[in-house]
Amino acid sequence: MILRGSDITKPIRETADVCIIGSGCGGGPVAKILAEAGKRVIVVEAGSHVTPEEFVLTEESAFSNLYQQRAGQATEDQAVLVLQGKAVGGSTVINWTTSLRTPDFVLDAWQKRFGVQGISPKEIEPYFERVEKYLNIHAEPDERHNNLNRVILDGAKKLGYRAHANGRNVKDCNALGACGVGCPIGAKQTVDLTYIADAIKSGTTVFANCHADTIKASGKTKRVTGSVIDPVSHKAKFDFSIEAPVVVVAASAIHSPVLLLKSGVANSSGEVGKHLTFHLTTAVLGVFDRPMYPWKGIPQSAMCDEFLNKSGDGGGFWIESVPATAALAGLSMSGFGKRHRAMIRSYPNVAASIVLVKEIDSEGRVIVNSYGRPSISYKQGWKDLQYLKQGLKEAAKIHIAAGANEVYTLHTKETRLTSVEEIDKKLSAASYGTNEIAFYSAHPLGTCRMGEDPRASVVNSHGETHDVKGLFVIDGSITCTSLGVNPQVTLLALAEKHGEWLAENWKSVA
Amino acid sequence: MLFGSGMLVPTGQAWIPTSAGLIPQSAFARELSDEVRRQLKFFSPDEYLILQSAAERIVGPASAGAPSAAEIDVALRADAFLAGADPEIQEQFHLLLTVFNHPVFTFLFDFRFSAFVNMNDDEKDSYIEDWMTSPIAFRRTAFVGLKRLCMSMYYTDARSWPAIGYDGVFAQ
Repeated sequence: MILRGSDITKPIRETADVCIIGSGCGGGPVAKILAEAGKRVIVVEAGSHVTPEEFVLTEESAFSNLYQQRAGQATEDQAVLVLQGKAVGGSTVINWTTSLRTPDFVLDAWQKRFGVQGISPKEIEPYFERVEKYLNIHAEPDERHNNLNRVILDGAKKLGYRAHANGRNVKDCNALGACGVGCPIGAKQTVDLTYIADAIKSGTTVFANCHADTIKASGKTKRVTGSVIDPVSHKAKFDFSIEAPVVVVAASAIHSPVLLLKSGVANSSGEVGKHLTFHLTTAVLGVFDRPMYPWKGIPQSAMCDEFLNKSGDGGGFWIESVPATAALAGLSMSGFGKRHRAMIRSYPNVAASIVLVKEIDSEGRVIVNSYGRPSISYKQGWKDLQYLKQGLKEAAKIHIAAGANEVYTLHTKETRLTSVEEIDKKLSAASYGTNEIAFYSAHPLGTCRMGEDPRASVVNSHGETHDVKGLFVIDGSITCTSLGVNPQVTLLALAEKHGEWLAENWKSVA
Repeated sequence: MLFGSGMLVPTGQAWIPTSAGLIPQSAFARELSDEVRRQLKFFSPDEYLILQSAAERIVGPASAGAPSAAEIDVALRADAFLAGADPEIQEQFHLLLTVFNHPVFTFLFDFRFSAFVNMNDDEKDSYIEDWMTSPIAFRRTAFVGLKRLCMSMYYTDARSWPAIGYDGVFAQ
């Protein structure tokens, strides 16, 4: 069963075999596997439980009810807006469904550089297959791509770049374009509708609106404590305490390290919170002489990955489309005032594409601020900056090749591009400093790195912390490097793998 | 929404003189109606008027069917939003509005001799442009914070949509 904050009428005092903190790509599969193995599972989730019928389908409502910090989570210097879900189901509730396997070169690097075991492409293949089957992941047929995805496919084809349809975790999708505000017909195979629903069938209890504050891990039993939050007033109404021999932290690469740091556990390496990667993202806006309706249809169904690891250094970028709903468009377009008003009048004729950098020399960090919440910093490396510039140029060229009359970047000072010559010249000369161009991230990763060296990593190859037996971290925190693909399939496969190991080795762990 | 913590003052550091909050505000808010005053949960009357004034210029003046920021109640919507924000964000917005408006800072940063709210429209636009393009990173950061707040409050309101041709998610 799922209990919402509004349903909880007294402090919670529970015991379980396992307490899982977070109900997204990490927590969901682990809950399902352990519950089906007969374990008593309790999941605590800081966000609300919202069903498809309850989604309001406006940015205002979605930002307020489904996103971390009401879609306002950002780095300390505001340079990168970090969009994450906050709901039962985690970010899968608000993501755009792109479902891609981890590239082999990434898995190879994790084995070679970090000694991660059991992660070779061949060893993880069955987990990818399992996730893809369970979530009905498939590519869309050609006629289903909306105007924005067509721009990528058509523009890239004209330039001779590799572009193709990507997998999506949907069933009976009606192409409503509502992925980012919650799918109202439950077509998106989100973690709450799949893994968590199955976990509940096997006896799992989910406490929504419960924010975990600390983990005490002295002796065999661990205790997770925190607050039950009233979903209307957002104030703490009760406390909760859950005791279990096994605790799985699955609160995301931003919030899991905060919980460990506040609890003073699992950080003998000093690595907790370090090595944050973002898939640093910016965008181009192409203006066409016909309506593109950038908010309609399937948000992401095609991509160009021509430039990913092209030089073999593990870096590069890829290009996807991005649905431009009104507020996102308003704040992304350059400048302000009259000029901004003039630009946004062309909004229906705009197609937007994002450039996502697979970082190799950029890194960030999550620490705990004086209010006990995450403080995020990020420093862009020189190599990644070169890839970002190249990515913007290639994305702009794709738009021109697809028929855009002009292309704009998200530079604070308006940057208008109308030809290939102008693209190269202006984007080479443009500034990319803090808040001189808008950056986003929907893929924070890597802050509790996996590895076999306890001096250089937080968890081992099974997701168990080196320091505390029975304490696991299984979410986007444990990736060793940036991925180069949207992360949900990677995280689900890792959670399947680690959950399975935990179930099979329960006696030695608990 | 769409802006976050760390607006001006990174944790543990003070980039802006903390004395800013001690400088008395002007009395320009005297004319604010009692009705608006009663609705304010976060802003002081002065802060409300500073944000309303900034929002008018940032969103852009009403034109060709596009309502003004005041018609959308951007400042009131921002007040309600910030009333529920994390305390670090609240703290920084109070500070930001003081620094953005106060003549001491308009002079220090820009050699201007007037509070922001007392500038004419052209002066306001030029002043905001200076924040947006400033070589000082925290001024650009502050501009981004103000822009995110104003644009998100304006364009999440359905009254702003007809002028830009948006019919809402799921409209089809």
